[in-house]
Amino acid sequence: MAGLFTMAKKEFLDIIGEKKFLLIFATLLIVVLVSTFQGGLSYSSSQSTMVTTGNFTAPDGGRSGVQVFGSAQSLSRSLNSMITNFSLVGGVLAIAISFDTINNERQKGSLKTLLSYPIYRDTIVYGKYFGGLIAITLVSTITFLAGIGVFVSITGLAMTPDTAIRLFLFYGVSLIYMAIFLAIGLLFSIVLPSPSTSLLASMIVWLSSIQLIPNLGYAIGQILYPVRFSISNGRSTFATQSGFTTIRAIISGLSPSTAYENIVNSILSTSELQFSGNTPTVISINVTQALQSALPSLIYFVGLLIVIFAAAYVIFTRQDIR
Amino acid sequence: MSTAIEINGLTKVYGELTAVDHVSYNIQEGEIFGLLGPNGCGKTTTILMLLGLIIPTEGTAIVNGADIVKAPLQARRNVGLLPENAGFYDNLNARQNLSFYAELADVPDNVAKDRVEKLIDMVGLGQKRDVKVGAYSRGMRQRLGIAQSLVRDPKILILDEPTQGIDPEGTRDLRELIRMLSKERGMTIIFTTHVLYEINKLCDRVAIMKNGVIAGIGTIPELRKQVNAAEGEDFEQVFLRYQGVV
Repeated sequence: MAGLFTMAKKEFLDIIGEKKFLLIFATLLIVVLVSTFQGGLSYSSSQSTMVTTGNFTAPDGGRSGVQVFGSAQSLSRSLNSMITNFSLVGGVLAIAISFDTINNERQKGSLKTLLSYPIYRDTIVYGKYFGGLIAITLVSTITFLAGIGVFVSITGLAMTPDTAIRLFLFYGVSLIYMAIFLAIGLLFSIVLPSPSTSLLASMIVWLSSIQLIPNLGYAIGQILYPVRFSISNGRSTFATQSGFTTIRAIISGLSPSTAYENIVNSILSTSELQFSGNTPTVISINVTQALQSALPSLIYFVGLLIVIFAAAYVIFTRQDIR
Repeated sequence: MSTAIEINGLTKVYGELTAVDHVSYNIQEGEIFGLLGPNGCGKTTTILMLLGLIIPTEGTAIVNGADIVKAPLQARRNVGLLPENAGFYDNLNARQNLSFYAELADVPDNVAKDRVEKLIDMVGLGQKRDVKVGAYSRGMRQRLGIAQSLVRDPKILILDEPTQGIDPEGTRDLRELIRMLSKERGMTIIFTTHVLYEINKLCDRVAIMKNGVIAGIGTIPELRKQVNAAEGEDFEQVFLRYQGVV
């Protein structure tokens, strides 16, 4: 497609030259480094605790099971802070890149000039989106390499093929997550005439993703299936109901941020605890199984990206440029 | 002389408003064609439809032998546009802005480099070629816009209010440039304006628009004749007659 590379290159150079981009990138890098540092310390401490106090039955029996449990649980839990921070700041960074992609060009009068050239409108929308994607790929790569570097240097985590694949998938899912918010910003920049309005709309979606939808899931779950607090035999317990958990999971999972955290937690979980009677048993989860458990969220996640980008594309290619 | 643009029943409706109403006319190759009319009469909408930026509600046009609805890309392949209030990338200088557009138009690198420098000199921005466009005055931006419209060496040049914001000296230079492009390069030039003096000085033919329709079309003498203008009557009076004001 003629002009695609030109558009993407220009968009990428414009993005990385902007102060707002550098500022948010620096913030993302700092929060990820701090959270992986803390996570690394927590991981190291949990490793030694697990080794000395573990008394669970592993699938293959013996102490190896203790090791698996220790590393498995702690890896996903230790990186949890990094995941949460990435879902917060990563979303903001993607929106900051794309919220004025089209309406800024329209407002300053350069969109008419661009579209008077013998290029398809697809070229503009793809070029601008790809330029943004390259920028977030750069950001994610630097942030991940730095974050994982800090984590590994603190914990001495052995980079086995299994761990490397899981971390690579974590990186890939994080890219898709940012690509979703990039597409949301692009869509609003096409639909709304002013950059300030599209920024506001994008931020409302982001806020809904991290707060409103998960809270709504909790509230609706409580309304439909109230979770009761009871005291029996002098001990307090929650009579949890599967209905509440299901409703909450379904509604919360509609939020890109919750879906992202669910997928990444599934990918990074190398084992889970199961109880047969009173005996807890550690079941190992390989990468394929982890991906299978994350599959519904992953399909929704990729589908959401496709739907949002397709909406942006269709609207832009049919829009009158006045 | 063959036809450069053939407009057939071009119409654009926005809800209740008919911005352009079944407009039909031809523009010949090498002609300087003026589109004259008050604000909101449909001049810019017509131009933007010719470039495929606005999709016609009805009718079509053939530009460079290509249908603007069926093959918009081919239609605008050899067309240069200076839009009204043309915008640029403020973080880039004149050279970088023009090089970007040249790259977009697929102009070979070695040709583009030379052409960009010549165009910058031609529009009088030689001293400011390395200054970021964000620091340009409105007139300077308009000059850069003219250079941009020529960067792909088009056969048809469309200028929407080209003298807007340009000082008298720049306006005179632009008029000379338009004449030169028409005579020496055989370029077809269409421009919209409110300034009747420019129309008088430059145009081979003029279309006067009123409420989305063509109120009159022809050479200046033909337009005068159509409304039975008295000898020596000012062209402003003629224009106002077409608008139904006098």
